[in-house]
Parts: sequence; structure tokens; C-alpha cells
Amino acid sequence: MSEHSNWPEWIYVGVVIALMCWVGAEAWQAERLVEHVPADAEIIKVTGQQWFWTFEYEDGTKTIGDLYVESGKAYKFEIHSKDVIHSFNIHDYVVLMDAVPGRVTTVWFAPVEVGTHDIQCREYCGLIHYNMRGTLHVEEAST
Amino acid sequence: MKGILGLFLVLAALVVVPAVDLAFAAGDEPGEYLDRRVVIWNLFFRMMTVAFVVGAVVSGTIIWQVWRFRESHPKAKPTPYEGTDW
Repeated sequence: MSEHSNWPEWIYVGVVIALMCWVGAEAWQAERLVEHVPADAEIIKVTGQQWFWTFEYEDGTKTIGDLYVESGKAYKFEIHSKDVIHSFNIHDYVVLMDAVPGRVTTVWFAPVEVGTHDIQCREYCGLIHYNMRGTLHVEEAST
Repeated sequence: MKGILGLFLVLAALVVVPAVDLAFAAGDEPGEYLDRRVVIWNLFFRMMTVAFVVGAVVSGTIIWQVWRFRESHPKAKPTPYEGTDW
């Protein structure tokens, strides 16, 4: 047993720690990038309630179920809930944020192409949860 | 005593790391325009690559060890614990 050595174990421990640091740093960097809201982002108030979404724009107009945005601009969603926990999701743009009663949660995105995309509640919120849907309409920039 | 110290170190890290993350990750300065789909899916695929490579290395090492140190391997030698009467 005189030739016993622990160095493979220490290398293994070192590799695991290095990998975890690298994975953590990558995730941190991605989080930092996607959570920094551009200064000129337009704020849209999103309200979830059983079982539909209401969108209120900066000019005070409201739409129910249909969200209208322009391509090439940034939008910051301030998400509210009137009753239970919902989750605001635009799957095609990887937008996902819980709507929690009594809190305002935020998420932002900048659409790049004209088109329509599905909006769906992603937190089970009662009988008609499956149909708590909406549509995102990305239109040509007006200016 | 060493065990308690280690436990508290782990617990402290569990509390401190998310707190630091919360305080500094988002920051106050305005961000740049970016396509979050690109950032998030890139992260996902890189992490999947890491996960599968680690999985392959670990399972490969285990398979090699089981094959190399089986009793019937031609080069298998008894350990001192097992005695020399093989």
C-alpha cells in the first residue's frame, strides 16, 4: 500500500468544481443579458385573470386577448394577476413569467419579425386554464 | 467540528450565492437590444453538450472499471485485503 495515491480523486474534484463554476458563470451571463431592459422599452401592463389576458399600453388603450407590438422595438411587460397565480408565456419568443397576485413581475423582449404568435397561460389556474390563450401580433414598425 | 464547519460553509454558500445573484445579475444600467431566443437556446444547447459529455465520461469510466477489474480479467490481481491465496 506504500504506493497509494489520491491524485486521480483530486483531479476529479478539481474538474467537477471547474465545470460547476463554468456552468454557473455561463448561466449568470445569460441571465444578466436577458434581464437588462433597454432604456427605451415601451411598458405594457399585462393582467392575468381567470381566464384571459388584458394588455394595457402606454397610451392607455387596452386590448383583451390580442397583444399588438411593432418589430424592432423593445417591450417591457409588467405582469399582474387579479386572482390566482398565472404564467404569461409567449413560447416562440421564450418569454415566460409568473403572474402573482399582489406582486408585479417583469420581463422584456424585442420582436424581430412580423407575424403572429401564441400566448398561453403556463400555470394551472383553474377549469378553463387550457383555453387562457391570446395572440401576439408583431406588426411593421410605424416610424 | 470539521463536519459542522463544512456544513455551515455549504449552507452559507447556498444563501450567499443566490443573494449575490439577485443583487448584481440584473444590475441598474440599461440593457442592449438582443434576441432572447438566441441567448436562452444557446445556453440550453451548451449546457446539454456539457451534460452529455460528463455523462459519457462518467459512464465510460464506470464501464471500463467494471470490465478491467472483474475477477475473470487475465490481469486481475488480488488486493492485500483479499490475501495472497488466490
